[in-house]
Amino acid sequence: MAALTLAVEGLSLRRNGRLVLDGVTFEAAGGEVVALIGPNGAGKTTLLECLTGLQRADRGTVAFGGAALTSLAGRSAVFAYMPDDAEAPAELTVREWMAFAARVHRTPAAKVRQLSERLRVAPLLGARAGDLSRGERRRVALCTTLCAERPVVVLDEPLGVFDPRQLRDVLAVLQGVAAAGAALVVSVHQMSDAEKIADRVMLLAAGRVVAFGSLPQLRAQASAAPDAPLEAVFLALLGGTGADAPA
Amino acid sequence: MLRRELALALRARLAWMVAALSTLLVGHGFILAVDLYTAGSRSVRANVLMAREFDPLAGIVRPTLGGLYLAASLLVPLVAARPLAVEKERRSLGPLLLMTGSPGRVVAAKFAAAVASASLLLVGPAVALVAWRLAGGHLAPAETAVALVGHALYMIALCALGTAAAAWMGTLAQAAALGVVVVLSSWAIDAADGFAALAWLGGAAPWSFTTHLAPFERGTLMPADALWMLAATSLFLALARVGVGLDVSPRRKATAAALIVVVGVGVLHFVGEWRRGYDLTEARRASLPPAAVRALRHLRSPIALDVWLDRDDSRRRQMESDVVAKLRLARPDAAIRFPLDARPDPAEAAGEEGYGRTVVRVGGHRGETYSASRREIVTVIFEAAGAPPPSWWQPTYPGYPLVPMGRTRWWMAVVAYGLAPGGLLGAGLWITRRRRRS
Repeated sequence: MAALTLAVEGLSLRRNGRLVLDGVTFEAAGGEVVALIGPNGAGKTTLLECLTGLQRADRGTVAFGGAALTSLAGRSAVFAYMPDDAEAPAELTVREWMAFAARVHRTPAAKVRQLSERLRVAPLLGARAGDLSRGERRRVALCTTLCAERPVVVLDEPLGVFDPRQLRDVLAVLQGVAAAGAALVVSVHQMSDAEKIADRVMLLAAGRVVAFGSLPQLRAQASAAPDAPLEAVFLALLGGTGADAPA
Repeated sequence: MLRRELALALRARLAWMVAALSTLLVGHGFILAVDLYTAGSRSVRANVLMAREFDPLAGIVRPTLGGLYLAASLLVPLVAARPLAVEKERRSLGPLLLMTGSPGRVVAAKFAAAVASASLLLVGPAVALVAWRLAGGHLAPAETAVALVGHALYMIALCALGTAAAAWMGTLAQAAALGVVVVLSSWAIDAADGFAALAWLGGAAPWSFTTHLAPFERGTLMPADALWMLAATSLFLALARVGVGLDVSPRRKATAAALIVVVGVGVLHFVGEWRRGYDLTEARRASLPPAAVRALRHLRSPIALDVWLDRDDSRRRQMESDVVAKLRLARPDAAIRFPLDARPDPAEAAGEEGYGRTVVRVGGHRGETYSASRREIVTVIFEAAGAPPPSWWQPTYPGYPLVPMGRTRWWMAVVAYGLAPGGLLGAGLWITRRRRRS
């Protein structure tokens, strides 16, 4: 099990004199879904970018299976990453976009077909990526990301744009990916979405980990009722720290 | 990866609009050249000697490629920066690098896409030269190919420049502006020849793209100039590779870039010193007469010329494009110096004694002339060497005057101003059209 664990320790980043990440430490085991929640500006996207190497942290280490990930090539072999705000390659058709991802990741055609059916991407294949709606674009981007079959899947706000039926499909797909042994680190804005998918939840505020654990553990930390929704736990924990203000 | 990048580049309307604009510019240059060539040709129909001056390389190919040079210099940095810059603007470059795990591969693919976009600009000259041939005009294949290769190398270097600019800048606009600034710096160096106010930049002539493009336009293949363009391309690509790197600190990036620039400048300087060249023009008209070339190569003593002319003197420009270029083809080791370049003010205006002379040294002997004629200067070289002047016979270049018949000129104009740019625009609109969903 230890060989499949993502271990992040003491990740810190200062930007323009402001501490954006402050010693973030957590682990995500294979098969586990870690939901990253926090107020706007808490550093969620920055943390995911530092994790995947798209931003360079000032301090801290990221390791997978006990080996430190220090190079882009090393991170590329471990992470599949879907950013929140990346635009689609507008000039490509969805078919070309998917084919490119499949070629780069050497994904079997059957797996691509299965993913595109489960995420309802198949009807979009002939369309230009630039002509898709936001939700459609997100589904295609998720499909191309999951083609990678990497041991750690990092998704930045993947759920916010879907209608209930699409959300159900996407959650099922993500749970399937975790069941297949991948560790998922997913930043989520809707607390109800985090409740549905997460094994453990990490609450980040002002670049610091305020709480990290299963939902019952977080309820206990927040002194909340055993059936309290995550939203109440979130508010209770943040209210206690006052940490949503910039450091 | 390459397929994706080509699709991204060639399905961008910008690439096709730039190609259409460039084709219009090239077409305009071509039609002006045809009109001038035709007007001259009318007056020499009955005079064989004057007809020899009608050289399609100088009269048609060079002005046509002049339009391409202008368009490429100003527009290729924009088109070439786009494939990489749009990834930055779309915030998809990082995920792409993570996906492939290879910044070198990403830069190579982006550069290939830039070259593909820029190659659309070659449609204009190709159409113009085909139109010229269909109208009955003459084109010598080797010298025309050399001129086209020179411009292709220049465009490839500009593509690498655009890619490097995109790697270091945040947006397409910033990258295009940086690329154009580099091109304008090269133009400022070129302008040192014509403007006394910029004469101080003249010493930087070896760092201008145009300096290394000019021999190709004369139909001479100078490996050093081709290598200079390729070395500049490699320098820009190396900078681009460093620029897109994610797993290095900004300080290490800056250090690596500085190191690349230092090494690159050294390589460019070293390559530029190599002067061997090959005259591929019809009847070898870019060379001195064959007997003079043989005799010059047989002279064992080193040859040195001191030309006492200001940088902006038209006689000097004439000498540089004629006797100096031809002497360098015959004797690449000849040391040709312009001592007045070291002076801050023009010597001619100061009425300096001895202004305009060319001092020739062969071994320990010296000769001097005020003539800019190649025959006179070569004769002085042989006098100084104590050798008899060689035969001045040269294979006859017949010249190719042409007056397009009937409506040919009208058709050329229709192709240059309408069909070629319009065709590119139409093709671009078709290729970039919206598609129905399946």
